[in-house]
Amino acid sequence: MISLETCRRVLETAVKTGADYAEIYAENTQNHVITMISGKVDNINDGVTAGAAVRVFKGLRSVMSTTIDTSEKGLLQCAMRAAEALGEGHAEMEIVLHERLYGDVHPVLVAPSSVGNREKIDILRTGCEAAASYGKCIVQTTGRFLDVDHRILIANTDGVYASDRQIRTRLAVTAVADTGKGRQTGSASPGRRMGMEMFDAEADAASAGREAARQASVMADAGYCPGGMMPVAIDNGFGGVIFHEACGHSLEATSVAYGLSQFSGKLGEMIANEKVTAIDDGTLPNNWGSVNFDDEGTPSRRNVLIENGVLKNYMIDKFNGRRMEMPSTGSARRESFMYVPTSRMTNTYIDAGTDSNDDIIASIDYGLYAAQMGGGSVNPVTGEFNFAVNEGYLIRGGKICEPVRGASLVGKGSDVIRNIDMVGRDLRLAQGMCGSSSGSIPTNVGQPMIRVSSITVGGR
Amino acid sequence: MDFSVFKKWIADAADAAGVRDYELYYSTEDETTVNAFGGEINEFTSGLTGGVCFRCLLDGHMGLAYTQELSEAAAGALVRRAVDNASVIESNETEYFSEGGAEYEDYEPADMQLASPEELSALVLQGLRELKDAHSAVTGGCSASAGAGLREICLVNSNGVDLKWKCSSDYLFLEAVVSDGNEDNNDYKLKIAEPEKMDLQALAKEAAEDAASMLGAGMAPTGSFPVVFSPEAFSSMLGTFSSSFSSDQAAKGLSVLAGKEGEMIASSLVTVVDDPFCPENPMRINFDAEGSPAYKKSVILEGRLETLLYNLKTARAAGRQTTGNAHRAGYDAPVAISPFTMYLQPGTCPEEDLLKAAGEGIYVNSVGGLHAGANQITGDFSLMSSGFLISDGKKGAPVKSFTIAGNFFDLLKNVTAVADNMKVPMPMSVSSFGSPSVLVRELAVSGK
Repeated sequence: MISLETCRRVLETAVKTGADYAEIYAENTQNHVITMISGKVDNINDGVTAGAAVRVFKGLRSVMSTTIDTSEKGLLQCAMRAAEALGEGHAEMEIVLHERLYGDVHPVLVAPSSVGNREKIDILRTGCEAAASYGKCIVQTTGRFLDVDHRILIANTDGVYASDRQIRTRLAVTAVADTGKGRQTGSASPGRRMGMEMFDAEADAASAGREAARQASVMADAGYCPGGMMPVAIDNGFGGVIFHEACGHSLEATSVAYGLSQFSGKLGEMIANEKVTAIDDGTLPNNWGSVNFDDEGTPSRRNVLIENGVLKNYMIDKFNGRRMEMPSTGSARRESFMYVPTSRMTNTYIDAGTDSNDDIIASIDYGLYAAQMGGGSVNPVTGEFNFAVNEGYLIRGGKICEPVRGASLVGKGSDVIRNIDMVGRDLRLAQGMCGSSSGSIPTNVGQPMIRVSSITVGGR
Repeated sequence: MDFSVFKKWIADAADAAGVRDYELYYSTEDETTVNAFGGEINEFTSGLTGGVCFRCLLDGHMGLAYTQELSEAAAGALVRRAVDNASVIESNETEYFSEGGAEYEDYEPADMQLASPEELSALVLQGLRELKDAHSAVTGGCSASAGAGLREICLVNSNGVDLKWKCSSDYLFLEAVVSDGNEDNNDYKLKIAEPEKMDLQALAKEAAEDAASMLGAGMAPTGSFPVVFSPEAFSSMLGTFSSSFSSDQAAKGLSVLAGKEGEMIASSLVTVVDDPFCPENPMRINFDAEGSPAYKKSVILEGRLETLLYNLKTARAAGRQTTGNAHRAGYDAPVAISPFTMYLQPGTCPEEDLLKAAGEGIYVNSVGGLHAGANQITGDFSLMSSGFLISDGKKGAPVKSFTIAGNFFDLLKNVTAVADNMKVPMPMSVSSFGSPSVLVRELAVSGK
């Protein structure tokens, strides 16, 4: 990778026109995706993303220039372009870089990039076959084995010179079931910031396949969910997408810094039900959303966002932090060098509470039990969010009754976190990809089972 | 980088590996963007990015690998990886490369004068000023971004296909943020044109007024109602379910349209066209991602499914010609099948007639969460929406945070009127979607 001395020269060039901060982000990433359809390897997408970006700040202005030429000459040209775009000023800054060895709390035993296609295909096949053989109602299976070997180097005028290698592995199985009432799908997609050993230690491929098929077959027999306002019990794991959408995005400096979030200027205020404590923690070992340091070279950390209902902190990157006059919380992330980094989530969850799952279900006279959630989205300006319920059941008289399909939950973030009035004990995290202005990045969502006292359920 | 040099390295590496059938796809993007907030430029980006993808055929199986490293060593690695990937493909399908010698339609490529950084800066600052003056509810939270980009694609294969494409365009994106003191709302508008040809005042006014029109929105009722979709909302619906028109998805049991070619699948008012040369879209192109000629076609004609969309592989398997719909999102994405600019053919009546015909119902002006609330395999959807009540045949009070639910293919059968106000809301990619306003007889609405 790029030497410390080269980085120093590139940064020197970048600040020539008066920048008060400059940064180099260089990467070389191997992406590998094997897709299996109907039990056969259908295609493989395999490639290298490689390049660098030079970013400079002057006050509240940022300029970024990208290049795929990472030779010293290419980087110096890139830095020159950034400097010229910043303006006419002149400054000299003494740049001293120190190599930072932040360490790696995410050990990898078998790097997937060192393993051939065959071994990955075997795991993928195990998952897909487990789904296909689940029952007669399973009419189609698709699966993907994904692995990423992401090498990054960051140098900046705060003196950081640091490199990291982020390895992620994921299996995703989707099953399609049909019992004559219209096709339904189910999916399971465990992922970790670890290597091939994840399938021994953490996530068994056959279990993932069976789980996808189980969801699809339950939903294939289900009728449509009725619509309207009702109480909803949302189970743990991917259920945490409710916090991610309803609240998480609105706590990112990306919108808070511009006063565009429903939670701008509310630090120290009671914004949620007192049962809600929410945390963003990028340090969880081997977790899908973890990083040793963020994409601006700031070590990752555990940020308590909401404590017993009180807003404690936002997720902040260096650039937006300037506007907020607050330091970075180690939350800057980007998909690749081609995206401008901004504050994003890592592993974000509602912490365990004190209610039992049985009490939560028993407390609902008529409502919805959302066993598995799908993806969602939010508009941080209005706080309006929506997400899909992939596996839902009606609750009647405090008991879980028949499955229902096609439900979605919609609402406003600042309302819904006040309405989370019961929080269970069994915290679990689940993996997702989160899309925003700095691209698509891996994040964990999570929670124990929660009750939302009233929310609009979209159905028919 | 000099593509011809890399091409030679690839030819040598392929030769050494004994690979006879191969294709090289090269794309670059040279783009400058400027953002402004609070009356000042706050972000500027520029860069040249791009990469190459090498695909090869081994016993009818396709292997591919892509890279942004454009060295001789990388060329060798690219060929080795693609061969290794091809060797483990198990699909029964046979893949092909374009044979060459085809005729391509003449067309007018987008060839705008690229705006300079200074022009882009002036544009966003003026855009912000216009937003500020556009409506009394506008806040300081508005932002503007503008860009100028040159995109190029080269496609060559071992059958002698050698194609080039170039597109240059400028755009302005305005986000209006409004407040009534109780709540905020926002709306976006995009304009693709050379800066001097943009009417900034009109664009800002549209964004601000649309954002302000939703302030104070109430809850929608729950029940079944006639629904009018705005052009933006119906374009989103069409885009979300467009994968159902892929013959590849159909062959894999992932589309409800499998086996339905020639059948009535929609109301006779519905004609859906796929046009690679749609004038609203600057990304016009006369060849697809496999190098087959691209052409305009009706996918649904007066309710009848005329054709699915094909590439070389699915067309040969079905014993027919490709429709030239191979598509790739970039050098780093696999070849898939998708439309160019797909739109619902406009009718002849104004939108007001649809409102009148609906009588009492819901006007949906935007749908959200499409990646979550819509199932492309089944056509089922349950989507967060916002819009207006329709009462006495007119747009009434704004409503939001309700869902509409149903099945897209049932909905197509229940279209009872199509207006004349066609739009292509976000024509910034090779796959874009357009529509006029559409009246649907009945849809499930969940609100209060």
